[in-house]
Amino acid sequence: MSIDKPNLHHRLSPTGPVADPSPALRTSTFTCVRCGLTVATLGPDGSHRNHCPSCLHSQHIHDHVEGGPSDCRSRMTPISIAVLRNGDWMVVHRCTRCDELTSSPVCADDNQLILMRMAVRPLAQPPFPLEVFGDM
Amino acid sequence: MPRKKKSDDNHRHGRRGSTRPQRHKDVLHGRGGEAGDAFRCVGCRLDVPLAAPGTAHRNHCPNCLASLHVDRRVPGDRDSACRGRMTALSMSVREDGEWMIIHSCLSCGELSANRIAGDDNALALVRIAIRPLADSSVPVRALLAL
Repeated sequence: MSIDKPNLHHRLSPTGPVADPSPALRTSTFTCVRCGLTVATLGPDGSHRNHCPSCLHSQHIHDHVEGGPSDCRSRMTPISIAVLRNGDWMVVHRCTRCDELTSSPVCADDNQLILMRMAVRPLAQPPFPLEVFGDM
Repeated sequence: MPRKKKSDDNHRHGRRGSTRPQRHKDVLHGRGGEAGDAFRCVGCRLDVPLAAPGTAHRNHCPNCLASLHVDRRVPGDRDSACRGRMTALSMSVREDGEWMIIHSCLSCGELSANRIAGDDNALALVRIAIRPLADSSVPVRALLAL
């Protein structure tokens, strides 16, 4: 994130690998607020993780409307999959307490079953018949 | 301080058909902050009436699904100074099967969710919904990983 454009796409740009992580960062962990799994802060590709790879739940730490830390600190559930122009998947999270939305990049070791379930969920319950689109 | 929405929509209660009607919101859609009965889409300049089948809180164009970033924390508060264009980013589904469009602001990256309306462009909606599955290598890789 550049200094001159602090807000531009800060929710959609995937966070790249940390250049040279300190030993403390390399070994630091957090506990998932939903399933209690102890998760390493850095993912397998060296980028910051912000959701549990097992249940994909996150915690509302950052306040995106005003910036800075949030005092909500509630659980955030994954609600949908967004696709960037380069084909990367992002998980959209929704806070269970204040309904704020965030998006974060998918990690390599995230639970593929939950990811696929969220991706096909709209097509499993369509609000209109999908047969007509077969002719297009 | 994040606030819990007072009108905590009806996705917590009941299945489809047994939900209570949506609450009316006094949202100022006219220019200059006055009440209006229509808005003009920022994407395709379509004049969109506020009365929509299936939803009481229309905020996006039924033709191109574009929206405008005017709300800050609570839907309808008209408190944001951004006023950037919001494009449909992805599709989410509630527990009761309602589709929700996730919009992202092109100018500041803010996200928002809104229920689809009955007259929304079905082709545009389905194109958003199948976007994760368009690249067939990802689902195949996911199934192989199981």
